[in-house]
Amino acid sequence: MQTSDFTSHNGRTLSSVVRSALLTVAQLPMAYLMLLAPILAGPASTSSESQSLRIVPAEIELWGSGASQRILVLATDAQGLEKDVTADSLLHISDSHLAQLSGDGRLSAIANGRSTLRAKHGAHVTSATVTTHDTAITRPFSFPLDVVGVLTRQGCNRSDCHGGVTGRGGFKLSLNGVSPRDDYRWIVEGGVYQVLSPEAAGPIEPRVDLDDFEESLIVLKPTLSIPHEGGERLAPHTEEHAALLAWIADGAPYASEVESGPPTLQRIEVFPQLGVIPQNGSRRLLVTAHLTNGQRVDFSERVRYESDNPDVLTVTEDGVVVAHKLGEAVVSVQAPGHRAVARLGVVDSSLTSYPNLAPRNLIDEHIFSKLQRLRILPSEKSSDHEFLRRVCLDLTGTLPPAQGAREFLANSDPNKRDELIEVLLNSPEHVNYLTFRFSDFYRVTYRNVLNYKVWIRESLASNKPYDEMAREYIAAQGNVPPTRQFYRPNGGLMYPKEKMAEDVRLFLGVRMDCAECHDHPFEPWNQDQFWGLAAFYGRTTRIQKHGLFFEDPAGNTLNPEGARVMHPRRGVEVQPTFFDGTPLTDAERTEPRMQLAKWVTAPGNPYFARAIVNRIWSYFFVRGFVEPVDDFRDSNPPTHPLLLEALARNFEENGYDLKHLMRLILQSKTYQLSGIPNETNVDDEINYSRARPRRLDAEVLLDAITRVTDSDDPFKVHDYVGGGVEPADTLAIDLTAEVSPSQFLDVFGRPPFREAVPVRDRSVTLGQALHTLVGAAFNDKLLGKEGRLRRLLDSGVSDTDLITEFYLAALSRFPTREELSAILNLLQSSSTREEGFENLVWALIASREFTYNH
Amino acid sequence: MKRAALNSPPPVENSKQVIARRDILRAGSLSLLGLGLPDYLRLSAQSVEKENAGKKKAQSCILLFLEGGPSQIDTWDPKPHSSFKPISTAVPDIQISELFPRLAARANNFSILRSLHTEENNHPQGTHYAMTAHRPSPRTTFPSLGSIVAKEKGIRNEMPPYVMVPLHWEGDFFSYVDAFNAGFIGSQYNPVILPDPSLANFEVPDLSLPKSLSVENINDRLSFLSVVDRHYRQREKRAEFAQMDRFTKQAMTMLLSPTVKEAFDLSQELEATKDAYGRTRVGQSVLMARRLVEAGCRFVTASGYTHSQWDTHGDHDSRLRSVLAPTLDQTLSVLLDDLDQRGLLETTMVLVMGEFGRTPHMNALNGRDHYPDCWSLLLAGGGIEGGRVVGASDAQGAQVADRLISMGDVYATIYRALGIDWTKTYTNPFGRPFYIANSLDDTMGQPVDELF
Repeated sequence: MQTSDFTSHNGRTLSSVVRSALLTVAQLPMAYLMLLAPILAGPASTSSESQSLRIVPAEIELWGSGASQRILVLATDAQGLEKDVTADSLLHISDSHLAQLSGDGRLSAIANGRSTLRAKHGAHVTSATVTTHDTAITRPFSFPLDVVGVLTRQGCNRSDCHGGVTGRGGFKLSLNGVSPRDDYRWIVEGGVYQVLSPEAAGPIEPRVDLDDFEESLIVLKPTLSIPHEGGERLAPHTEEHAALLAWIADGAPYASEVESGPPTLQRIEVFPQLGVIPQNGSRRLLVTAHLTNGQRVDFSERVRYESDNPDVLTVTEDGVVVAHKLGEAVVSVQAPGHRAVARLGVVDSSLTSYPNLAPRNLIDEHIFSKLQRLRILPSEKSSDHEFLRRVCLDLTGTLPPAQGAREFLANSDPNKRDELIEVLLNSPEHVNYLTFRFSDFYRVTYRNVLNYKVWIRESLASNKPYDEMAREYIAAQGNVPPTRQFYRPNGGLMYPKEKMAEDVRLFLGVRMDCAECHDHPFEPWNQDQFWGLAAFYGRTTRIQKHGLFFEDPAGNTLNPEGARVMHPRRGVEVQPTFFDGTPLTDAERTEPRMQLAKWVTAPGNPYFARAIVNRIWSYFFVRGFVEPVDDFRDSNPPTHPLLLEALARNFEENGYDLKHLMRLILQSKTYQLSGIPNETNVDDEINYSRARPRRLDAEVLLDAITRVTDSDDPFKVHDYVGGGVEPADTLAIDLTAEVSPSQFLDVFGRPPFREAVPVRDRSVTLGQALHTLVGAAFNDKLLGKEGRLRRLLDSGVSDTDLITEFYLAALSRFPTREELSAILNLLQSSSTREEGFENLVWALIASREFTYNH
Repeated sequence: MKRAALNSPPPVENSKQVIARRDILRAGSLSLLGLGLPDYLRLSAQSVEKENAGKKKAQSCILLFLEGGPSQIDTWDPKPHSSFKPISTAVPDIQISELFPRLAARANNFSILRSLHTEENNHPQGTHYAMTAHRPSPRTTFPSLGSIVAKEKGIRNEMPPYVMVPLHWEGDFFSYVDAFNAGFIGSQYNPVILPDPSLANFEVPDLSLPKSLSVENINDRLSFLSVVDRHYRQREKRAEFAQMDRFTKQAMTMLLSPTVKEAFDLSQELEATKDAYGRTRVGQSVLMARRLVEAGCRFVTASGYTHSQWDTHGDHDSRLRSVLAPTLDQTLSVLLDDLDQRGLLETTMVLVMGEFGRTPHMNALNGRDHYPDCWSLLLAGGGIEGGRVVGASDAQGAQVADRLISMGDVYATIYRALGIDWTKTYTNPFGRPFYIANSLDDTMGQPVDELF
């Protein structure tokens, strides 16, 4: 099912290529919608009896001579678990003169007409209509379908083989057959592809031999008649082998000579898009090709299947998914130039009853329904102390004060969580922390820090609609703060190609970079699209003295790759051109970046809202639906496509209101689940069935240590910018990396701000272990003069109260009875009270519970 | 220069198709087999690897970094228009500048590359290029040579695999530190950075117990930690946690290891040795480097020359004569002797270079400016041949006249000496493979065979 075309602000329509690349979630999977039904429908049942039966496809159409279609008979039990029962069903065709049924569930056309297919399984009966058309007509030959089809199914054009950037062994094919014309040329004419050149290199010898077709290289190599690094790809005497030979024997045409040319592939569809399989079970996938002439063809045995998690499940070359262990995997289905994905869960079918979970909002509806499908039970609701610490860290990057924790834990108001969320969302600390978060991916550096960071802060403080913020950023002119972005992180002025790639990643969540030099290696994005977008930035220039950035209508620019953006392969000037190939009109060309900004933020642009929703989501759940958060592509499908889409639409309908989006997330039951696992969700990493721990970012961890110890040692300022120290109340999250030397932050990881869109390295290191044991921050802060420990030791409070105070400050909870007695024991055996407590405070700030948000 | 194009992802090992190098040569035509040049190079590298098996491999590498960029014609590639005369060395036919008499006497122990051609013409970018063999890019942060060696060779004797001594610019303001870091391969391969070891208050942060802390203190603290952590540990088990536990254990081993403690302790050296290396930042950092490789470090960047000391835009000759050349001549000579006497020269590669060369002509201030087009560097130890000169510049020392050598070739040479597969690629977060020995135009570097 296809939604209406996405139309931009001035009536442009995205090309079909882009749509196929980026609108996968817009092809609303009907099956998935149906999956939502059970959870929204009433009380749970424990029966595992079949409740219904259906045939897929429900309407079977067979076109042309010899056409066939596999059919599936599916039974659904009360839990919504669907099983393939084709092999155990009785099948009957009403008119066996029109179509015949083979033992393995395949229906073949004989003559034109309509008939009915009936299936019986247990007590249930169902039927489907069968229509056969044009059974006397042979489908015309098509190189893209029939030859590239074989190469695609055999994996010849995968990115790690001949579909790689420069091909393999001197032979280049377009990735997964996206450019059949190019493939035809490389095969029939020969030659070796060169990056950044339109010319072929190497010996220009055809890879087909029309005189002696069995001696064609294109056949000898994959059959291993001569050495082939890729091994045997084509067994002799198979249908595919015969098809290749027949094509060469016919003179290697591109297409049959029919009037309108043969139909081509429009898209493929896989069934199911979201499905489950019992452990050790299997089920068959069905793939339907939609051709340009409106026909649908069973492609289940003409595509290439790949599982992204073979430990969980594998797929046979004919599309039978075999489950191995509990978990989830994505099966990608590759046809020439087109891809579809199926997300499949291997479930524990022994869990027969499932509680009825009441969703609070749309997030819970989607999350809970998928969990139910996967037979994963979510954890319990988080305890108050879990929630308090988590929400304070997530919204303000700081721990709640000990007294605040006491009050919250004692409060019995049932609305206290919602109230806390509102207080925090409207706090200046939240604005400060969100500014810190945005400073990462908006790349705040010393070169641009001053007014640029102020602009970010003020935009967030006023909850500026995000589309407005994006337009101000992309179209920035003159001396306004967002133009500071045009400083290259490595010095100088950003090149148009770099700025474009940065902005597209930032606001559309797409990594175009690879397409700079060659068509993208994994995705159907080409070099023309890259440079067409880069040209929007060509006229940007700078007046050196004042650092003013603007678009010069005359096209003067200091940029070495400036106003005339040249296509590196074609060697011609590129005009600013949208994704679909529509260039800007002359009238629009005075302010190309404004035109681009309008297009990016146009209502209905499917990428814009999704990119920021995915990023914001990742702040609260450790990962985005798409991960990395700015790497949306066909081959990296979201874990919850419908939820992502629903959140993006909700965000758009609510005026791109970031605060609204965060409130929706924070209020959901999903966000408020505990981190304590149960038997079914202990291994879940992607379905949000419990809170996953995340190590505190370096700055947040340092601030947390400072807060717990209440120590005060100001941050240094780099000598190159005047030296000295920052004001006393400065937090680590306020610092600018380049000018704030800090060993602690170096060891625990700062954002790599010399990358266009910095991504933090969150890996644990030996250096962190060493620093925790003997580093300055973990030692010098423990017993500072004005520190919390010194104060409390001097005030004469009891050991128990002192321990409790530190537990509340560090972990937002009271110590358990066991902890208390064990600690009191250890204190007894310490040489001095002071030293004992120093050790306790160290243990608290070094502990896992402290250094993680959970 | 013809080079192999970067072939996309590394090859899948295919047991069915092992082609011996001899077979390739016999077949004569690469294209006949459909075997691209990179495939051929890879296969032939594997054959060389086999031939070299059994030979003693280098264990570590010291980079003596001449930050600022030394002049090639006044050091290893003397020309008539230098203010300094060429002198003969212990190796017939090899001459170097008269500024280095002690090194001249040891020419059997090192070799000179005279035809370096690199990119980038300013310090931050040039340093980035010299340390990573890549121009800086906002797209990808590249791993430095030291990080790659650390990753490939791993930890030996509990010593951190990659150390830099000292940090040659404090802070990050001039974009230098990135050049020495691990980039996209992960911060665990960043160097451990030491302060200046010639200072009286030298203390190694995080690798030794601070004076205020005893082993007993640490053990007491760990007992408290086991109480505090018990609750959370029971409920949450993750691979990342297990990894951190291993690191903590390893950290304890390092902190308690006498080898580690002693390795960083210059007071273990004789006063005479300290004098011999030179009581300077340069001398003591090189001495520290020797101690560290002896103890087990894999790669030590000795960067005692700081603040662009070799960056002689003015007053070139007198700065060379008075400070730069004498300290280098002394320290490097002593290092080579010391390694040799300890039997470490065979297993320790020594690389001496700046981030580029200097203009062959003088500017108006009697200085020489940055020059990456053609310059020289020095290699010693690690099992490579000494007493050789590879490549040549033209009469002016301005252009490569013979055998262009890229930074990727230098890296490949070091990898080969260390027994690292120099044909390897690492894949960045975008999924693009890069050669660990990245040569010009992203092609694959080749070891300088003349040195083996």
